[in-house]
Amino acid sequence: MTGLGSSVREFLLAFADDEHLMGQQHTEWIGVAPFLEEDLAFSSIAQDELGHAAALYAIVAGDGDPVDNDLRIDELAFRPSPDDWRCAQLVEVASDDWAHALVRHWLYDSAEQLRWEQVAQSSLIPLAEAAARAEREERYHRRHADGLLDVLLPAADSAERLQAALADLLPLAIGIFDPVAGEAEVVATGVASAPFDTRLDEWKDRVRHRFDFDPDRIEPMAPTGRLVRHPDFGPLLVRMREVIDLDPAAVW
Amino acid sequence: MNTDLLVDRVRAAVATVDDPEYPGISIVDLGLLESLDTTHDGHVAVGLIPTFSGCPALSMIADDVRRAVDAVDGVEGVDVRWLGAPVWGVDRVTETARATMAREFTVAVRIGRGPVACPRCGSPTHEQSMFGPSRCRAVHTCPACAEVVEVMRA
Repeated sequence: MTGLGSSVREFLLAFADDEHLMGQQHTEWIGVAPFLEEDLAFSSIAQDELGHAAALYAIVAGDGDPVDNDLRIDELAFRPSPDDWRCAQLVEVASDDWAHALVRHWLYDSAEQLRWEQVAQSSLIPLAEAAARAEREERYHRRHADGLLDVLLPAADSAERLQAALADLLPLAIGIFDPVAGEAEVVATGVASAPFDTRLDEWKDRVRHRFDFDPDRIEPMAPTGRLVRHPDFGPLLVRMREVIDLDPAAVW
Repeated sequence: MNTDLLVDRVRAAVATVDDPEYPGISIVDLGLLESLDTTHDGHVAVGLIPTFSGCPALSMIADDVRRAVDAVDGVEGVDVRWLGAPVWGVDRVTETARATMAREFTVAVRIGRGPVACPRCGSPTHEQSMFGPSRCRAVHTCPACAEVVEVMRA
């Protein structure tokens, strides 16, 4: 879309980068999840998150059509140098334990629901449309994560692993609410209904209710305006670029 | 050319494009065609909606539609777009497509809010997993047939 202000652009890129990396992280469980149904679930959920990322990048790149803006989406998704990414550290951190991946899936998707709600009535029409489509898909994601936690949290051995993952991930998860510079303008122009951190308390209540753990007992990371990358980001970016770097001029 | 006649021809051409996931089932019967506009000088605009955001077949389907419409007598140019709205739902799938899916693919489509009927015997099925062999299919079981049933989902 021509004429997007730099604040709106940053806001959309932050959302798109989060969706992109969350999708990428989920794909890394395909084939190594604890059982076949989870391979399939993580692959489907990853596909949705990558679809949302493409939809958001397409609004930055052009008029929102994911096919017409194919190459520009790739450019936004794979080419920026680490300093130009706007993702939250929650989606950058490596997860080599499935309990950890499951807790992250729940933390991310519970915040993602609130985030789409913030733009459901957006003055940017393609964004409001993407929100309507995403919410229909996200219901399955939340049911998936909640269904597993319903079974696993009451069992002592799995509860211990999940609670350890929660303590580890919460400081980073709170970082999802960390705004990019210029969020006030995004709200003033009606692109989002309110600053995202106005939903933080509501999200913490969900965490409290789900895990029976008070998130305020955890020291959140200092806000960085999404400008500081997690140490795990570098290797992740190398893995993500593996194919595109083989032949940067290839047309797919 | 009469634009009504051209619209009919173009619609028929779009209907020859099958969904890559379901060979033999037209994208029109799956409810992907949302809008079709023609001008008196033969320019055609086709608006499609995806079944879900991350569908990897979007460019393939758009190419197929472009090729099919381009071949229609009287068409001078075609523009195929993926629209952001409305949101696709299984209620857009026609009776014809439902019947073919049940018969050829043993895939059921949910109708309304009740249980999904088994495409073989019509008995109510049980959901096994929301996530099946592809992104747009859930896995159910039919107790009467003692078989696995795939169910198209949004």
